Amino acid sequence: MSELMLNPWIRALFWGLVMITGVMTVTAWSTWFERKFAGRMQSRMGPTLVGPLGLLQPIADACKLLQKEDLVPDSADRALFNLAPVLTVGFAMGVAAVVPFTPTMLAADLDVGVLWLLALSGLMVFPTWMGSWASNNKYSLIAAMRAVAQGISYEVPMVLAIMVPVIMTGTLSLSDMVADQQKNGWLIYRLPLTGLIAFVIFFLASLAEANRIPFDIPEAESELVAGPTTEYTGMKFGLFYMAEYIHTLLSSAICAAVFFGGWDGPIAPGLHWMLLKSVILFVFLTWVRWSFLRLRSDQLMNLCWKYAVPATLALIPVTAFYTVYAAGKGGV
Amino acid sequence: MTAIARARAPRPDPFLDIDSYDPEADLMVMNLGPQHPSTHGVFRVLLYLDGEIIIKAVPYPGYLHRGVEKLCEKLTYAQITPIVDKNDYVAPMLNEQAVNMAFEKMLGVEVPPRALHMRTLLAEIQRVASHLLWLGTFAMDLGGALGGGTSVFMYCFREREAILDLFEKLTGCRFHYNTHTVGGQRHDIPAGWAAEVHRVLGAISDRIDEYEAMLSHPIFLKRTKGVGVIDAQLALELGLTGPLLRASGVDHDLRRDAPYHIYDQIKDLKVAVESDGDCLARYKVRVVELRESIRISRLLVDNVPEGPICGGRPIKQPGQFKAKAGQVYVGIETPRGELGTYLIAGGGKMGDTPYRLKIRPPSLHALAVVPYVFPGHSVSDAVAILGSLDPIMGEVDR
Amino acid sequence: MTPAEENAAREQAFRRLLRERFGVEGEADAPLPDDGVVVDRAHHVDLAKALHKAGWQLYVTCAATHFPAVPGKKPTDATTPECFEVATVLRTVGPGSHTARWRVKLAVGESLPTLVPVFVGADWQEREQFDLVGVHFEGHPDLRRLMMPEDWEGHPLRRDYAIDTPHAPWR
Repeated sequence: MSELMLNPWIRALFWGLVMITGVMTVTAWSTWFERKFAGRMQSRMGPTLVGPLGLLQPIADACKLLQKEDLVPDSADRALFNLAPVLTVGFAMGVAAVVPFTPTMLAADLDVGVLWLLALSGLMVFPTWMGSWASNNKYSLIAAMRAVAQGISYEVPMVLAIMVPVIMTGTLSLSDMVADQQKNGWLIYRLPLTGLIAFVIFFLASLAEANRIPFDIPEAESELVAGPTTEYTGMKFGLFYMAEYIHTLLSSAICAAVFFGGWDGPIAPGLHWMLLKSVILFVFLTWVRWSFLRLRSDQLMNLCWKYAVPATLALIPVTAFYTVYAAGKGGV
Repeated sequence: MTAIARARAPRPDPFLDIDSYDPEADLMVMNLGPQHPSTHGVFRVLLYLDGEIIIKAVPYPGYLHRGVEKLCEKLTYAQITPIVDKNDYVAPMLNEQAVNMAFEKMLGVEVPPRALHMRTLLAEIQRVASHLLWLGTFAMDLGGALGGGTSVFMYCFREREAILDLFEKLTGCRFHYNTHTVGGQRHDIPAGWAAEVHRVLGAISDRIDEYEAMLSHPIFLKRTKGVGVIDAQLALELGLTGPLLRASGVDHDLRRDAPYHIYDQIKDLKVAVESDGDCLARYKVRVVELRESIRISRLLVDNVPEGPICGGRPIKQPGQFKAKAGQVYVGIETPRGELGTYLIAGGGKMGDTPYRLKIRPPSLHALAVVPYVFPGHSVSDAVAILGSLDPIMGEVDR
Repeated sequence: MTPAEENAAREQAFRRLLRERFGVEGEADAPLPDDGVVVDRAHHVDLAKALHKAGWQLYVTCAATHFPAVPGKKPTDATTPECFEVATVLRTVGPGSHTARWRVKLAVGESLPTLVPVFVGADWQEREQFDLVGVHFEGHPDLRRLMMPEDWEGHPLRRDYAIDTPHAPWR
């Protein structure tokens, strides 16, 4: 077994399959968790009927979505309309390839993992835009416009924010980043504390990229009915929904790896620590979602271009100078 | 003048000719409704958009028109109460009171003091329920069905549910009570009801602070402050009443200014007035009213006078009341504003049914403001403004 | 001034205004009839303007009513002709709020000058009355149906419009 795993192809295939099934399963039950959590927050029960504690609810949901009639509007662009939901899940899953759960448990230990990550989350805008445009629906059109504006804008602070860990650890590989944190302390508290600010901005940007409240402006049910997915039915809608959850889950996992030391932790095995940190971040995301209202499109842009981008731009030189200074002192 | 600046100029022209607007502009026409999550029923607004900025808004009410006024012409005075329950389905108590007050004035029926006291009490409790529903739906308009807005919505509905339980104990119905009648009430206060009222309203008044805290964060302020400003002059000319008028800086409340029931005995009635006229001002006015209504209800429930609850003979047959020819207008303050009843009685052979009954719904006047405030705002703001107007479509369309 | 006194003073002012400038019969201070005062069609807009200036700033409502022709009791009696009445209600704001209401009688085919230039709120109210009762408002900028579908025939709130009048495709 271990000899087989040394072959990078077999290793990629094995962990790829594990990742896909794992992420899919976790995604399905994260919807159950979110509904239960939101229910308790809102003094109601959440799902209770299907299975014990409503645990089989995701399966029932999937069955229901599969049974729905697959509608494509007459005026829609059929090819693009059908392609969009597939691509959106594809891109979201692609990110999972580079997330380091343990030193061995990662599908592809890319030297440029950070770039892969940024590239794929940048691409996430395309299926949303593609599906909205192909729907030929005015609500979807406005949603597409908002999604593109938001996605492209938040790409900038996201890239700039992740530069801070890159400078501090001196690597573009996610697993090396975690290894460095294991040696020199987590980035979230490492001097000069720019990691903390970078984490806040990165987290906000990934919220915006995943279209979660308070940044769910493209979806905006109360304004645009269902935004990009207005015309989608059945499993195609389900795929968009799934991609949103995958994106959210993986954002939490990446934040845990990049800023919170990944698998680093005492006593328990590394995987436990990594999963625990990811789950805590995901719960935090859910908590935020069910407590806040939505910003307006232009206010979101203000937040991005007037606060987030200048802040990250200031962080980079500070981090760089401190790193050089510390290296000169013979420290880190 | 740029397109946006023109749309933001004071008092937009609702009859703007869209062809002469700006030949260069790439306008999009979008229907908000009739089936839309945020129109609070079936209501359609035709929006002319320049980018995402609204240039012109043309509202189309009438999708819920049921011909209530026509039906009332065929029913006797005692039969009308349950029909008007369905108009403003969020505050049915006040609908019943409005028509019955007009009938009593026309027919010259005396209402005993206990019934008047009960009417005041029920109106105030109903106002709490109605404002709670508004608070929940407004938060949902701002935060969407899958976010923080729903949390506030759920909490508000939980409290409203408790009030509906109170009404169920009193009348046997949760929604369409049919408890008022010409000359008084049909259901007397059951034993132990006052203690229940104290318990429920006490719990609600504690929790309102929490909801206020939940909504006083920067996102809520950003979404409401300076959005959808209605100036006092426009509000008066359009006939906006209730919280909308008071949020625009006009100190006017029929409970204090033209007292009916026993409102003249409540000396320290606090009328909330805000001067900004934006969504935030409307929110503030309603929250103050919520607290004030709770205070008044708790005050009133303790000293309900003894006596009969219905003046005159009990109603045995529908055509018992005969009116002489005449016309009256009665206006009362509902949670949404002045609910007026203009009654024309036929007299003679037509004396047992109204000859013409015109209901003046405050929500219809509130929606008439849409073509004046929407231009210059984005679609997101349009939803916030519509939510802050608190329209009830059953009442608008009748 | 207490609210009640304020209200009485407004009532006094309203009576004087009607009798001195708008040709309503009676002593200047005598109470108005219970069922409201009838004003000549020509005075309608001027009265609204005068009231608006004098403090009745809140536009409350307008209600049109249809009175079908009534045949005389005996065959020799003359038939009362079909007519319309439009009632308008205005209000003062603040303590002692006073409602001013008056009616205008219209013969068939006669139209009433619109109040939109004085109160923009009259726009929808007059559209509704036009829609349901069929009174024409002269000079209204946008006189379309408000409640009924655009292609609806007839005016449902007329007294001679039967509740079960068929109308395709609805019934």
